[in-house]
Amino acid sequence: MGEQQASNEVYIALQRQLYQEARLLSSEQYDDWLAMVSEDIHYAMEMPQRRFREDKGHRVPDKTPIFNDDMTALLMRVGRFKTGFVWSENPINSIRHIVSNVEVFETENAGQYKVYSVIEVHRSRLDAERKRLTAGRQDIWQQTATGYQLLKRNAVLDDGVVLDSNINFFF
Amino acid sequence: MNPLDELVNFKTGRQKRIIYSDPGIYEQEQEKIFGRCWLFLTHECQIKEPGDFVRTFMGEDEVLVVRQKEGDIKAFLNTCTHRGNRLCKADHGNSKKFVCNYHGWSFGFDGKLNGVPLEKDAYKDQLDKSKFGLVEVAQIANYKGLVFATFDEAAPSLEDYLGEMKWYLDVWLDAMPEGTELIGTAMKVELPVNWKLPVENVSGDGYHLGWAHAGAMTVSSSMSVGGLEVGNTSTDNSGAVSVAGMNGHAVLAALDGQSGYGFYPDPTSAVDYLEKNRQTVIDRLGEYRGKKMWGSQINMTVFPNLQMLPGLNWFRVYHPKGPGKFEMWTWAMVDKQMPDELKQTILNNVSRTFGPAGLFDNDDGDNLQAITEQSRGWRTRQMDVYTNMAIGGEHSRDEMPGVVSEGLVCEQNQRYVYRRWLEMMKAKDWSEVPSYNSLEEARATEQGNG
Repeated sequence: MGEQQASNEVYIALQRQLYQEARLLSSEQYDDWLAMVSEDIHYAMEMPQRRFREDKGHRVPDKTPIFNDDMTALLMRVGRFKTGFVWSENPINSIRHIVSNVEVFETENAGQYKVYSVIEVHRSRLDAERKRLTAGRQDIWQQTATGYQLLKRNAVLDDGVVLDSNINFFF
Repeated sequence: MNPLDELVNFKTGRQKRIIYSDPGIYEQEQEKIFGRCWLFLTHECQIKEPGDFVRTFMGEDEVLVVRQKEGDIKAFLNTCTHRGNRLCKADHGNSKKFVCNYHGWSFGFDGKLNGVPLEKDAYKDQLDKSKFGLVEVAQIANYKGLVFATFDEAAPSLEDYLGEMKWYLDVWLDAMPEGTELIGTAMKVELPVNWKLPVENVSGDGYHLGWAHAGAMTVSSSMSVGGLEVGNTSTDNSGAVSVAGMNGHAVLAALDGQSGYGFYPDPTSAVDYLEKNRQTVIDRLGEYRGKKMWGSQINMTVFPNLQMLPGLNWFRVYHPKGPGKFEMWTWAMVDKQMPDELKQTILNNVSRTFGPAGLFDNDDGDNLQAITEQSRGWRTRQMDVYTNMAIGGEHSRDEMPGVVSEGLVCEQNQRYVYRRWLEMMKAKDWSEVPSYNSLEEARATEQGNG
């Protein structure tokens, strides 16, 4: 603990922001989403490792990145969707981003806030195929003249083995 | 005729779809392929110190691979010899002992049973602990950093098993003096797919690249790769080769010395590294491999379930989990001597291209899943599928071993992979498995319809 809660006003604004972001991602409005992402974005997600609690050795790096993206990489991902050649996304698949457990804290940088949340992604594709992926997120959002922008996202997937044939979406 | 001959025809490039869905065939594969072949366990860099271990699979059997006090590596079935509980649930780590959660039997990392609770009071000191050590694999060996094992004592040596494939593996494993390493731990994905489908795909299917991956290629290509074009409107097969006929192992290689980094948005640092070190590699591997192969886009397949792509720098093993399921473990593999910054660039690119959220990998899963499902129905499983492109193009080349066909877009390699699959499935034991590493030997050892 020891972290200072943000004001109610900021909390509500950033919660709104996360809900809006979730809606944009679920509806594939990627340009609108990128508009709320900083040019200096570091967008990362890693897989968890199963290690013994008492095993503190770190001979093997324990981070396995699924995403480790800057803006160039995010634009590549969005660019791929826009080519119209991503056959697995045609017909359109249903996807819902559900955000919860939002907490907002001050940081040492004025106008930047640390935001914890849980993201649950439901996907419904061909026939009865249904997938549910969950991750914890730790973000830095910063206040700008045009609203809040996502500066950092560190997400950790809850599964040690990804249980879906693709991650054609963002967390 | 052996009924298995109905399943695969090497000469016409035909497979029965039932091989992707039938539980009985899958069970035979466990015994005759995963029970016999040399299977990849780990890269030695992942377990450097005594007690370092990784938990992995040989077929559906779980194994613990552990670095020993003397520096050698042992692999044990990850199961308690008392009542069969799983011994270790961690993916990797360091441990001086493995203690079973059920009754507390304690094994040293050398596999010996050291401690049994109530040994005196309940077993009356009558348990011969020396008979209940962990069960080891039949053979374990290391080829230039890659550790393999087999459950079959009668299997040929690893060197013989790899045969002429070593000549190609060395383009990565032995190009630089300090060799290779895997970065971090595996990115794991479970796919509802038969395990043979990704293997055949990466072994030889340059055909799907320009179409299945058209979206990914459009946004990530920074140079020409083996004459492939987005949308497959045309292809130039002259600067690349498909190589097989090496006991099921296969290679798909561009011959330009840099296109391995063709799917990096900015390949500058990688290409700089290649040119800075190319003379070293030429000195070690000779002109042909040093100039034409090192740095090129190359797919390498070690039968049955290991694949690696220098340049794109991914390294992957497939663990079967039933006829319609496997786990895919992908690492970034790099030359140890690469600068840290380049290693990080490569790790990022592996995640971005062939990780669980990889631009390329995310095109393949659904296709391979659908093929598995379309091999399951009562009517569809009786149907055939084909790898009949460019039959008759096989030839020998003085500059390289194996059976060669021109180009990345060619289905020669898949035919040889399935030929090996059939040979392993039909053989009663290793004495009946033919060995061939050239066109002459491959022709001399053809069986029936092959």
